[in-house]
Amino acid sequence: MAISWRLCPGQQLRRRQWDGECVLYNDLSGDTHLIGADALELLLALHAGPADTDNLGRHLRSAGMAADDAEVATMLEDLERLALVEAVC
Amino acid sequence: MLTVAQLPAGQLAARLAGAGLTLQTGAFVTRLQSTIPSVVRGVALMYADYPLGPDDGYADFHLRMVRPLNWRRWLRPQVQLLADGLAPFKPLPLAQAYPMFEWGLNWCISSRAHSYLMLHAAVVEKHGRAAILPAPPGSGKSTLCAALVHHGWRLLSDELTMVRLEDGLIAPMPRPISLKNGSIELMRAALPTALFSPPVHDTNKGTVAHLRAPADSIVRLDEAARPAWIVFPRYEAGAAVELQPVAKARAHLRTAENAFNYSVLAARGFDAMAALIEQSDCYDFRYSSLADGIATFERLAAPP
Repeated sequence: MAISWRLCPGQQLRRRQWDGECVLYNDLSGDTHLIGADALELLLALHAGPADTDNLGRHLRSAGMAADDAEVATMLEDLERLALVEAVC
Repeated sequence: MLTVAQLPAGQLAARLAGAGLTLQTGAFVTRLQSTIPSVVRGVALMYADYPLGPDDGYADFHLRMVRPLNWRRWLRPQVQLLADGLAPFKPLPLAQAYPMFEWGLNWCISSRAHSYLMLHAAVVEKHGRAAILPAPPGSGKSTLCAALVHHGWRLLSDELTMVRLEDGLIAPMPRPISLKNGSIELMRAALPTALFSPPVHDTNKGTVAHLRAPADSIVRLDEAARPAWIVFPRYEAGAAVELQPVAKARAHLRTAENAFNYSVLAARGFDAMAALIEQSDCYDFRYSSLADGIATFERLAAPP
């Protein structure tokens, strides 16, 4: 069964985008991250509500961002390490 | 408004020895007390054109430069900086008293003035538009800044870029330009009529000297400037001059690395930095001659 994910509570996704790159303010750590368009799309999808890995992969592909399930899983793990997203038990 | 140079003879030393000399350096008023001769001479030389602070006694920063009364005073005399009565640093050799005043004032501002986003960057202005030069020590930032402000640019600061949180404008804080090691003789040769403080040797930064800020920059202490460019300078001996655009998202991160209080300001710091980057063209600038530097900045400022 695919893991379900959500934004970490408190993350506002304060950001600025230029030329396909995005700087994102992490409300929990105070860090600023440089993220790509695909990671931002994932975060925006989770901002709308929790979703599982399969649905997030479909969402990215429908947005024209080529991503197989393994890439989506890796991206989510990276975002989890930054305390931007967390798995929902 | 009365300037330091307009004080009657003997008044500068008397104020420094007494209740203190109040200096208006941009948005801040500093009260300085000291009887150390090199500090008195340094202030007379470097701050001649600065207006005195208000007569009501208000000052943002209270600095005292004193000689510690320890056994060392007989063998190796020292100087101690007191900021609001506290000693934030260990004493230094007495010969370093004047630079210690400059470093101490930088420390006071960079550790307390959190109504600004503060960058470790030189900043100069022309036609109302400011060029910010964030860079680590050794990049030639102050040397390039010194050359620019003697070739048509206004000095806003050689060390601390103060971005006002309320409107994103840069508040001027022109102070003596700190030069190190080889750049001292380089600038003496390039600017034969400019005034320099006596070189002080064997500091943590090597040999240091200060270059007096141009008088017209001090007259315009109250004129804030709109940011237009962020230029990351890098001096490289023998290199061909090169100005390369930097992607804005990356410029945001690199400029944040050169900020004193980006993290302290948290989300407000992020917003201020993003607004700064939004309205600035960002470049990496490599150069090996000041003439190339001056010419490149002239082209940047030229009307489109």
